[in-house]
Amino acid sequence: MIPLKNKPVGKVMVIGGGIGGIQAALDLADTGFYVYLADKSHSVGGTMAQLDKTFPTNDCSTCIFSPKLVEAAGHPNIRIMTSCELMNLDGVPGHFTAHVRRMPRYINMDKCIACGQCAEKCPKKVPDAFNTELGMRKAAYIPFPQAVPLKYALDPDQCLYLTKKKCGLCKKICPVGAVEFDQKVENFTLEVGAVILSAGFELALTKEHGEYGFGRYRNVVTSLQYERMLSATGPYGGHLQRPSDGKSPKRIAWIQCVMSRDISKNRPFCSSVCCMHAAKQAVLTRSHLPESETVIYFMDIRAHGKGFDEYIERATFQHQVQYKRSMISQLYVNPQSENLVVETFDHHINGTVEEEYDLVVLSSGFQPSKGWKNLADRLNIHLNPYGFACGDFDEPVSTSRPGVYVCGVLESPKDIPETVIQAGAAAAEVSGLLSEARMLPAPDENQGADNQIEETPETGQEIRVGVFVCHCGSNIAGVVDIPTLLSAIQRNNDVTFAQDFMFTCSAETQDRLAQTIKAHHLNRVVIAACSPKTHEPLFQKTLEQAGLNPYLMDMANIRNQCSWVHGKDTKKATAKALELIKAAVARAKNLEPLEADTYKIVNDSLVIGGGLAGMTAALTMAKQGFHVHLVEKTGQLGGFAVKLTHTLEGHSPPKLVRMLEDRVRSNPNITLYLNSELSEHSGYIGAFNGIIINAETRHEISYGTVVVASGGTAYQAGEFRYGQDERVVTQVELAERLRRDPQWPRQLKNVVMIQCVGSRNETFAYCSRVCCSAAVKNAIALKDINPDIQVVILYRDLRTFGFKELYYLEARRKGVLFFRFIPDEAPVVYDDHGQLVVDFTDRSSHQEFRITPDIVTLSTGIRPALDNEKLARLLKLSRTPEGFFMEAHVKLRPVEFPTAGIFLAGLAHSPRFADEAVAMAKCAAQQAIKVLCQDKMKTSPTYAVVDPDLCTACLACVRICPFGAPFINKEGISEIVPAKCQGCGMCPSECPARAITLRHSTDQQTVAEINALLDKIEF
Amino acid sequence: MNLAFYPGCSLEGMANDYERSITAVFDKLDVKLVEIDDWTCCGATAAHSLSETMAVLLPAKNLAAAEKMGLDIVSPCANCFNRLTYSRKMILKNIYDVPWKVTGKTKIYDMTRFLAQPHMIDQIKQKVLMPLEGLRLVSYYGCQMVRPPKITGFTDYENPQTLDKIAVALGAISLDWSYKATCCGASIGIGRRDIQFNLSTRLIKKAHQAGAEAIIVSCPLCQSNLDMVQNEKGMPKIPVFYFTEMMRLAFEGEKCSIQNFRMHLTDPGRLLREKGLVK
Amino acid sequence: MKPAREKTDLDVPDQLSGPRRIIGDRGDHFLRKVEGETGADISACYQCERCTNACPVSAYMDVNPHQVIRYVQLGWREELLRTTTIWVCLSCEMCTTYCPNNVDVAKTINHLRNMAFLSKVVPAEKILAVFHKTFVNELQRFGRVNEFWLMGSLNRHPDVLKEKIKTGALKEELVLGFEMFRKGKLKLLPHRCNEMKKIREICRK
Repeated sequence: MIPLKNKPVGKVMVIGGGIGGIQAALDLADTGFYVYLADKSHSVGGTMAQLDKTFPTNDCSTCIFSPKLVEAAGHPNIRIMTSCELMNLDGVPGHFTAHVRRMPRYINMDKCIACGQCAEKCPKKVPDAFNTELGMRKAAYIPFPQAVPLKYALDPDQCLYLTKKKCGLCKKICPVGAVEFDQKVENFTLEVGAVILSAGFELALTKEHGEYGFGRYRNVVTSLQYERMLSATGPYGGHLQRPSDGKSPKRIAWIQCVMSRDISKNRPFCSSVCCMHAAKQAVLTRSHLPESETVIYFMDIRAHGKGFDEYIERATFQHQVQYKRSMISQLYVNPQSENLVVETFDHHINGTVEEEYDLVVLSSGFQPSKGWKNLADRLNIHLNPYGFACGDFDEPVSTSRPGVYVCGVLESPKDIPETVIQAGAAAAEVSGLLSEARMLPAPDENQGADNQIEETPETGQEIRVGVFVCHCGSNIAGVVDIPTLLSAIQRNNDVTFAQDFMFTCSAETQDRLAQTIKAHHLNRVVIAACSPKTHEPLFQKTLEQAGLNPYLMDMANIRNQCSWVHGKDTKKATAKALELIKAAVARAKNLEPLEADTYKIVNDSLVIGGGLAGMTAALTMAKQGFHVHLVEKTGQLGGFAVKLTHTLEGHSPPKLVRMLEDRVRSNPNITLYLNSELSEHSGYIGAFNGIIINAETRHEISYGTVVVASGGTAYQAGEFRYGQDERVVTQVELAERLRRDPQWPRQLKNVVMIQCVGSRNETFAYCSRVCCSAAVKNAIALKDINPDIQVVILYRDLRTFGFKELYYLEARRKGVLFFRFIPDEAPVVYDDHGQLVVDFTDRSSHQEFRITPDIVTLSTGIRPALDNEKLARLLKLSRTPEGFFMEAHVKLRPVEFPTAGIFLAGLAHSPRFADEAVAMAKCAAQQAIKVLCQDKMKTSPTYAVVDPDLCTACLACVRICPFGAPFINKEGISEIVPAKCQGCGMCPSECPARAITLRHSTDQQTVAEINALLDKIEF
Repeated sequence: MNLAFYPGCSLEGMANDYERSITAVFDKLDVKLVEIDDWTCCGATAAHSLSETMAVLLPAKNLAAAEKMGLDIVSPCANCFNRLTYSRKMILKNIYDVPWKVTGKTKIYDMTRFLAQPHMIDQIKQKVLMPLEGLRLVSYYGCQMVRPPKITGFTDYENPQTLDKIAVALGAISLDWSYKATCCGASIGIGRRDIQFNLSTRLIKKAHQAGAEAIIVSCPLCQSNLDMVQNEKGMPKIPVFYFTEMMRLAFEGEKCSIQNFRMHLTDPGRLLREKGLVK
Repeated sequence: MKPAREKTDLDVPDQLSGPRRIIGDRGDHFLRKVEGETGADISACYQCERCTNACPVSAYMDVNPHQVIRYVQLGWREELLRTTTIWVCLSCEMCTTYCPNNVDVAKTINHLRNMAFLSKVVPAEKILAVFHKTFVNELQRFGRVNEFWLMGSLNRHPDVLKEKIKTGALKEELVLGFEMFRKGKLKLLPHRCNEMKKIREICRK
């Protein structure tokens, strides 16, 4: 078929292979677009690959990120292009020509087998950039052990042959002739429909800045260096030590806001994440070295994300991380010990205190990566004064160039989940732009069908078990004695073959794994590594690649359940690992191949909530041709945003609401249900059924996905005379009054604002994220109308993160006075003979103050919507203790629920700004489209089945199932709907007649496993 | 090459030895110092404490005189350097009624920075007759020469290098320490000896801890404060030299008499003899 | 078991002294005046205390540098002029150098010292105040300042003399002075400059 003239190109270029780029690429690839994922370096991975663990869950960064890298590397719709840079972009959205330059790698990637001999023999040692120059690497190198693609490269600035035409040893010894000294720069063009920029960031602090003696004192390191120092794959193998003498540090200090919030360094903005990563690093330090003392010097703790304040609490009270609110001027060094000396003024003793630390970590601010400014100039993209490509309020991932989108830190400093959200939003924009060009594979395409090995226990063939043991860097190998373990396994008669890998989950290992399985004719596989929860799908894919049924594999978790918990006893840990593996082998022998069923998908979606997030999600899906049922419980669209006036940056959420409302109402793909709610819900991903009711009618609908955008609600204050004194108002009420009566502030002399009302307290632990900005915005508005008003803001930590910090500065310059208080000395508001009085204590001047304001404004926080509980029960979703919905994974799956096919956006997730809610809604919609754009869906084969001969229809299973999967069928016996069954195993355990079997967890398999565990172990 | 030399008041009195060593050193270099005729006091701390305007205008006479000479100014005293530089910056804002004509065409060097230029360091190395081998020095810059960086132009204000470079050129061992630019107390001792004592003794102790056998300075007030405070019991005895005294010693070698150091309160004789630098 | 929630450094209430202060209606009048006169961006301060940590003499101050900035914001002129802070400040410029908000703290304190000289407030550190005045007087006499004559004039000031006799500082000074004389550190005769008329005019500004 000849493509229509105007049909856009269904290919997309994503620049930057960090978490943002990877996520955007996957979100596009899964929705039928072809992605060129380009990275300047020799591997994708970005900064997240350098991190040790992530807050607030302390998940191992590599462990959660690696599966994504592997998925991208193996995705048929993604082409990873390393060493590539976008030079120029011609054309119009939908029809761009990208000019790409590929720098020579001097290693032929098709030939390289990553044997590492070149690096081993290479005589030239250079500081290792991946390890933040704390360690050394060779001039022939791989960027890091889990690099994707796992191919070596030569460093043209260091290689002796490339610089001086000497040596050439690598070329001589390379067994496959992959070294090519004559590689040249390649220039080529690609036709793409759109571009997503996710080029990431680097630390702003360099040795030239001289801040805190970085580059002068050896025991002063950056936060990223410290991340490498903590990491098992880092320069010190995860054993924390000082760079100067290798001793393990006892006292460690963090200094926050280095090259952040610093006008004198032309970095007046906040880098948003340093407060949290310092807390995380301190917590990890305390668990690495329980004897250590960790002190964080800071100005404001900016823990404005979901669960962050709780994490800080835990850091403080559970891990004894000490927080000192004081900005250090400079560091001094003790010449004998190379310890660092911190001098602070202590108000309690009215004197200067000297404290010595073995190690000081500088939490450096971020800046866009080197070369980004040039790229932006070439692409003609407008940047803010600090080099970031900030998105618009209503289009948070758009750049000044149509068809070019941005996500991640490049847009503004942000953490991983916000980056993932923006990546999804950028993918949604592209997907909308290019939706005509969406290409989907034929639904029953079956990869590797021709080399399927028909070997099952039934066929009577010999069972050949292969065991693969993972080092997980030093996570496992640092504790468990791998060689001993391996030889013990090899001696086991049930095992045909056993081998170990550094990182079994890395993309390159998958190929080797598949080859090994084929070569040794293995038909049962045991992976002794980490948790099946995170890694089972990955290895199942590899089995498929090897032509085996994916269910012929079992995992032994010798990391989480062994090496991590028995870190001190190698001998016992090794013995336990062997036991776990033996049990897995016993189970593996009894595994059976399972096949998935497929079913037709309903290509409509349900969106719950007609606020900013709900409308945005609905429009995003409708634009791409999917029908949406949009349900709003009130008679009005717009939700929380309707009540707002304008944002800190001067945008109007109500205006955005009106624009979205017009588009929602006129979109033929959206059916709008006002004054309505979902009263019943059943089914499973791709095939849900529900009933929408209002006062008069009821609609039975079917839908393939659900987006929960049920919003939030304002906290109703009862404190500070709110409700009993009309002079006490909320920020929203103040803003509304200002809008209605702009002259009103001319009558005012004195306004006091109180922050954190109803937030960050014993009953409601979290921060509402938006209140500091709301206060700053209203304070500026008051001062703009009447510069003579005394505006006083009483706060605990001022959380104007990112570029919002610039407005905090503006407010100060306009004369707004900020006083910090502590909860134990909370301000008191009272009426004195008709005069409103506020008494408070300032922590900076150490004075008690009284002020008699005309107006007291309370910064009341955001609370979860009241209906959340009902909705959670109906959709079977879990919530946080505060009542917000709980996402599948805080870092990497922020808009998904554990229940497949249901997605989350906006205030229902956590307090957030309007533009953040918009981005989140787009991201959630894009995840939903991954389902909606399919024709058919596969069920999980691990569902429970009822033996009709044994069932007595006692209803035990019907009652116990949390997912509503079993029902009593026409024959009067229980039947379980495979697509609904989550394989949780509750009904098989509950069934008194033992009529139910859970596929892949049969009695036979489990008993074999238990017996193996009870067997005596021989070494 | 000629430079307009602005010695400042202290070099006529307390820091007379500084001036003598400067004269001796520049005798040997290709640079001639031409003293600004009839120079007047820069105003020091007192002038700006009383009045900003006074502080801006007082150095103007000297700036104008140097401009008339058509020479760049070099100042051996940190405070003079700071006041001259500040004054010029403020005068050029054209908001003051200045009695003398200042156009800002001449450069102002503090003496260390002039001498630490690469070509001067080369010259210094050539002139060294007796390298100060084995002498362990810390360089002390004080405040006024390096701060505020926007006035002084020292971007490495926490870790300045000019004195260190000169010390190395003389063959001495220049030790890094963190207190290069930590205040010695300046003239606070006039009214609050306790403060000056605490600040200065702390520096002596830190220098001792860093392994220094001597301190080199370029500021008369710093020299005086650090030198004087060592009278106290229990203090380590660390001679405090003007850096030009060390240059002179290296340039003149055996010809340099111990008498040149007679104005020091903390006697440097023992150290210099121990190191074989004087007889 | 959840460990007992102890107070951390973050939330220990202060030992406060002094009466509760009133924040009036037009607090930034004084702030804008000082900002105008110094060009220092005083309102930009976010009270991070980096200046106070940098200051080598904050322990000798009654009002620390960051608090000086806050007091200026609150318009507390009298209180500021009465502080020891404005006199013990060494003008070492540490505060200004390290301020992340580019607040010229040292210039602000210096300006307050200027204001104190013009006001009727009795300086908290008399000798230091007298010293600055005496220095400028000496400068006006000869155009240069002779240390020997400067100390002589200073010690002839009745307040200073009384104070130095009381503390015994005078005796110490005489001993030190003799030692210096012996070492040749004192120049007895001052140099006299030309153009003294212009110099004196400046000193009246």
